[in-house]
Amino acid sequence: MRKLLFLVISLLTIGQVWAQTKEVTGKVTDAKDGSPLVGATVKVKGVSKSTVTDAAGAFRISFTGNSATLQISSVGFESQEVSVTGGDVSIAMTVSTTSLNEVVVVGYGTKIKRDITGSVAKVSAKEIGNTPVTSFESALQGRAAGVQITQQNGKLGQGINIRIRGSASVTAGNEPLYVVDGIPLITTNLSSNGAQTNPLTDININDIESIEILKDASAAAIYGSRASNGVVLITTKKGKSGKSKIEFSYMTGLQTPTNKMEFMNAQEYVEYFRLAAAAAKRIDPSFDYVAFNESRLQRYSAGNTDYQTYKVNTDWQEQAFQRAPISQYDMNFSGGNDKTTYFMSGQYLDQTGIIVRNSFKRYNGRLNVDQKLNNWLNVGMNMSFARSLNKRVSNDNAFSTPLQIVALSPITPVIDPRTGQTSGALDLNTGRPNTNFPVYYNPMLSVENGFYNTITNRTLGNLYANITLAKGLTFRSEFGVDQLNQNEENYNGRLTARNSGVPSGSGFNSSDQILNYNTNNFLRYFKTFNEKHDVDVVAGMSFQEYKLTSNSASGEQFPSDAFKKIASAASKTDAQSSETQFAFLSYFARANYKFNNKYLLALSGRYDGSSRFGANNRYGFFPAVSAGWIISEEKFMERVQWMSFLKLKTSYGLTGNAEIGNFASRGLFSGDAGYGGIPGTRPTQLANPNLKWETTASFDVGIETGILNNRIVIEADYYTRNTKDLLLSVEVPGTSGFASQIQNKGRLENKGFEITFTSENIVKRDFRWTTSINFSRNRNKITDLAGQELGGGQNRAREGQALGVFVAREFAGADPANGDALYYKNTLKADGTRDRSTTNDYNQAEEVIIGNPNPDFIYGVRNTFNYKGIELEVLLQGVQGNELYYGGGQYMSASGSNGYDNQTRDQLNSWKKPGDITNVPEARLFLANGVDPSSRYIADGSFMRVKSVTLGYTLPQAITQKLKIERARVYLRGQNLFTSTKYQGWDPEVNADFQASNINQGVDFYSAPQIRAIVFGINIGL
Amino acid sequence: MKKHIVKIFLITTLLSAYSCNKRLEIEPAQSIDQSQALKTGSDVQAALVGSYTQLGNINFYGGRMFVMSELLGDHNELIWSGTFQGLTQIYNKTIPVNNGFALNTWLAGYAAINSANNVLSALDVVLPANKNRVEGEAKFLRSAAYFELVKLYAKDWNNGDPNSNDGVPLVLTPTREITEANKVARAKVAAVYNQIITDLVDAEAKLPNANGFFATKNAAAALLARVYLQKRDYPNARDAANRVIASNRYSLTASIYDAFPYNGGNPFQNTSEDIFALQVTTNSGVNDFQTFFSADGRGDITISDDHLNLYESADERQGLFYTSGGSVYNGKNDNVYGNVHTIRLAEMYLIRAETNFRLTTVVGATPLSDLNRIRNRVSLGSKLVITLDDILFERKLELAFEGFHLSDIKRLGVTTGYFTGGGGLAATSPKLVMPIPERELRANPNLTQNEGY
Repeated sequence: MRKLLFLVISLLTIGQVWAQTKEVTGKVTDAKDGSPLVGATVKVKGVSKSTVTDAAGAFRISFTGNSATLQISSVGFESQEVSVTGGDVSIAMTVSTTSLNEVVVVGYGTKIKRDITGSVAKVSAKEIGNTPVTSFESALQGRAAGVQITQQNGKLGQGINIRIRGSASVTAGNEPLYVVDGIPLITTNLSSNGAQTNPLTDININDIESIEILKDASAAAIYGSRASNGVVLITTKKGKSGKSKIEFSYMTGLQTPTNKMEFMNAQEYVEYFRLAAAAAKRIDPSFDYVAFNESRLQRYSAGNTDYQTYKVNTDWQEQAFQRAPISQYDMNFSGGNDKTTYFMSGQYLDQTGIIVRNSFKRYNGRLNVDQKLNNWLNVGMNMSFARSLNKRVSNDNAFSTPLQIVALSPITPVIDPRTGQTSGALDLNTGRPNTNFPVYYNPMLSVENGFYNTITNRTLGNLYANITLAKGLTFRSEFGVDQLNQNEENYNGRLTARNSGVPSGSGFNSSDQILNYNTNNFLRYFKTFNEKHDVDVVAGMSFQEYKLTSNSASGEQFPSDAFKKIASAASKTDAQSSETQFAFLSYFARANYKFNNKYLLALSGRYDGSSRFGANNRYGFFPAVSAGWIISEEKFMERVQWMSFLKLKTSYGLTGNAEIGNFASRGLFSGDAGYGGIPGTRPTQLANPNLKWETTASFDVGIETGILNNRIVIEADYYTRNTKDLLLSVEVPGTSGFASQIQNKGRLENKGFEITFTSENIVKRDFRWTTSINFSRNRNKITDLAGQELGGGQNRAREGQALGVFVAREFAGADPANGDALYYKNTLKADGTRDRSTTNDYNQAEEVIIGNPNPDFIYGVRNTFNYKGIELEVLLQGVQGNELYYGGGQYMSASGSNGYDNQTRDQLNSWKKPGDITNVPEARLFLANGVDPSSRYIADGSFMRVKSVTLGYTLPQAITQKLKIERARVYLRGQNLFTSTKYQGWDPEVNADFQASNINQGVDFYSAPQIRAIVFGINIGL
Repeated sequence: MKKHIVKIFLITTLLSAYSCNKRLEIEPAQSIDQSQALKTGSDVQAALVGSYTQLGNINFYGGRMFVMSELLGDHNELIWSGTFQGLTQIYNKTIPVNNGFALNTWLAGYAAINSANNVLSALDVVLPANKNRVEGEAKFLRSAAYFELVKLYAKDWNNGDPNSNDGVPLVLTPTREITEANKVARAKVAAVYNQIITDLVDAEAKLPNANGFFATKNAAAALLARVYLQKRDYPNARDAANRVIASNRYSLTASIYDAFPYNGGNPFQNTSEDIFALQVTTNSGVNDFQTFFSADGRGDITISDDHLNLYESADERQGLFYTSGGSVYNGKNDNVYGNVHTIRLAEMYLIRAETNFRLTTVVGATPLSDLNRIRNRVSLGSKLVITLDDILFERKLELAFEGFHLSDIKRLGVTTGYFTGGGGLAATSPKLVMPIPERELRANPNLTQNEGY
């Protein structure tokens, strides 16, 4: 021991003994624009001497001997070695082409990717900027391994489901925690119309510098009880010292639906329903279906006989869509000096939806300022605001949602010739809207006579101070506020009476205020001991409080449709005010240790208390450990020249999920049971004082390799995530007066692997081609559900199966003998096999699993090509192996046996005579033939999409100089350009908005198709 | 300076961590803890009022349950063209065990029972002056819920042996936590009826004569008459109906139309013949008859000629139907804010007439005069001689589409098409009994499923 100590001390002093020094000065710049690089490390090779560049990029360092080699490194840039003999040098650094050296934001700090032992996916501004989408998550689709993003439909600003490494919960939330610049973001859905809205739309995609997705426990455990679903860290842009920059961007283009469906035309419709009526009369002679059918056809033909000649042939689907332009204007200013840097931005987005009555307008502003007050104190503030106006349509399950218009008959004219008004607007006999013409309520009446506007005002800001207490020891204090005010206003005019049930107009107005504030206070200590031991420790506390207050009012009986405010309502039908809140108090710590630049170890933990947990379990502890080994640093790897980098890493840890109701542990009585104007209470919830968070134990093992000087980088991860103590809505006997109770019961697991492959295929002076591929496979399985099955529709949570599997009778096509819908009995036989004989009695067939909405794998393939000033990016996104349930099929692909809904053209192939082999049972008016839920309506939901294609051209300097501008780029960008799928519905990326939940996935119910956008844009730098 | 700033930061951090801990204690704002809910007499009164709301749930007395029974018991009198698959299944008499409507009605019924049980558990804190009334109302509500449940989810009293047929589980205490004891097996049909009758007899004894629109002595007696009639206990049914009529607190409205006031679509108080009606205002309560029967609602149910042909030409009750767009709608519940008329005086006259006739007694009045009272109100001439069928047909028309058809055909042991020329399902058909919801069987393994499911 003493010898060792002596050796260490002698080694340390040797440098000083031979102190015969020379000095070199220099400046380090960014090769791209010549701006100074602050904080770059300049090191004399072979000795322990190093310094960092100052705000001007300048450094001064001394060395011994006549010459020396300087090693210059800066995160995000390629390291360089420069031989110097003294004097003044200038060094231009090029941006690192490989991802291994990039800076990655992690909870409460940053790390270099190389040193990370957890699993973090990063998407940078370059990739997602200027995407023509309403919300930034849409731009992430296909860009990060292990992250599945599903937009529920093509309505603007509505729900998006994100699953990071699968679903970890059955009843509690499955969405990740979002943190912007250290502040947990409000993601509460405040919509009142039955379809979720997405509060993340308030973020300007062009303010985002990078998005980091923390996937495993090692990365996420520092967010404790809210990290089970992963954490999405959003970092906004900051100014750089140096020249002030002005950037202006504009894009404009058109959007169209990704797909349209095929419905019967007038002739097909009339002939089909005549066939259906004849068949019904044959089966049930007690009623004259044929005569009845003719009278109905006449009714739907606006009371005339035009249907007999197919004179009117309305394509109702076309009525639901509209011309949909999009434009976006962006302006930002950034710059600063060695003390102050700033970034200021403004944006205006004006987007018209593809669905009639749907549009979205938003403006955003941001100011990020950082100030170095002196050599030990930095302060800064990020502040942003957003205001958006979303003109919305009803949820997918409403007669008034535009796309349900496809149910109307093609023989029905758009304008009723009897009245000269929109069909359904006026019944000449009553002077009121028609109650049975067209066949259903005409959604155009809601488009023309109603609105549903959602206005949000959002302020998001944080303030920080960073104090250097001693060398390597800093204290950071952050305080942030996220404030969201939303107003919803709805008015349904007189002509919507058939739908609203109110003859003289109805109005609704609500206002919600959320105040969410958060403070983080933590110490960070980092130091390198003896050049070999790198230590980085973070420890601190965090407190968050969230409060939502809401009020709303409804009124009916308006003097005329000119009066839309509830002030004019003769009858105030409802008024509400409510309040709810939660708080989290947390202590966290993380220690990273690196030995010899090759052995990595990280420990982290969070101690979380929440108001949501039961009195008996208020605090939980969430630790994680991880380790990494950079094998390529080992001596024995020196010979393996082609492998430039190789790292093995593994992690294990616990994370929690606290996304339950704010008071789920309490036994409650509500005061909302007034009766006839007299107040009343009722029991609403059973108590569970033991309620606590769900716990997910995650294991991850991964490898990162760089080949051929990191021109090819491959990362692969295998993980398991086992969730126990599920916050489960457990069915209780209804005889108790309750249907369910939230209990910590059950388990589920996710297993999977992810591969990311990045390759610089061609790197020439003028031409560059890079490819990156990500591939993820996740297997979700519920291992214990306390013996129950959850889910009321076709999606179920069932033990031994993936969350949300589709369960229904198995359809066996039409009986060739008589056209009856047949089902496989599927009853379990004594030998364990299922009875594969068929029956036409729906109830005799047993429900079986008919599909799984979870994909086998998802992938993204991105290719970029750069040739001189031209760049082309092509991103493919794919989802493979999932099924969809075509819920609208029971009405629109129902052999005309479930009402007068217009049918999809494939129903023409129905059974017609004995011997016909078809999957479409005989058409029988009103005599439901195969319309009950079954595998008749299950479909392969796999798709591969050309998600994004961007063709850009940066004008050569010769031109820009003449124009006296710094930089100019024009581009053409297409989003969702082309989709390859077998799915026959509108779009395979779908989840009916009125019922979307953890369990309910992959159901299509008159859901608007996704948006295809083609835009032209320019970016100008001044 | 640096030291000061650092000190300030560290101290505030420590202090805030300490004070934050207290801020984890957050109380809900719209609800209160159950331990605080039933502490005083007025708390219990509020819970009692809430029990009416629970009973009046859209899936229960709010009307959907009655609509379901009309759809299930129908034989060609009404035409269902709605899109609610679960109701289509009920209309087609092919109800899968996972039918959501069957489940919701079950849950709503027991939620109302639990509310009433909560009230009954806290009578100790009720002022002595109010105690009888509160107890009577809660028992009335509980028995009303049990009566509907046992009629829908179990074999009728008259179908086999009620002492051996499974009824529905009897739960008579409030549920505050879930244990094995909550997995209650089905009580026999007779046991459920006994409980209902015990509760109602007690309620009738304890309730006041006047109690606003809440349950009264007569409401309990009227319901009791209905229950006795269902189990063919004619003397008791007759006497209970007679007590209501003899109280003279109710009178038939001058016109049948006044019994179902439209009032311009605005809320309206009880009519003179409402013995008990679920209150609907713009702020509370719901009339789900309106949703399905009215052309102003979903208009999913229209009326066929098979039914319309039953009326004599002078019958004013035909005016309760109206034509819109070529279909005929039942207008009894056209007012979206109309009260749900659950027990009307007309029913009491018809019960008294039927039971007197069957027993050849003349308690209160002759069957002939009771029947003619109903007939005369709708401009029909008086009959001189009547048969039992005359009374039953009158009852059919007077109470049409109010939720009586299914239990009447079961009680009478006739087919669903009995009143429209025969045909249809037999009274004992297992298809006319709702399945015990599949979910319920999962949550409670002690339950048995009904025949045919």
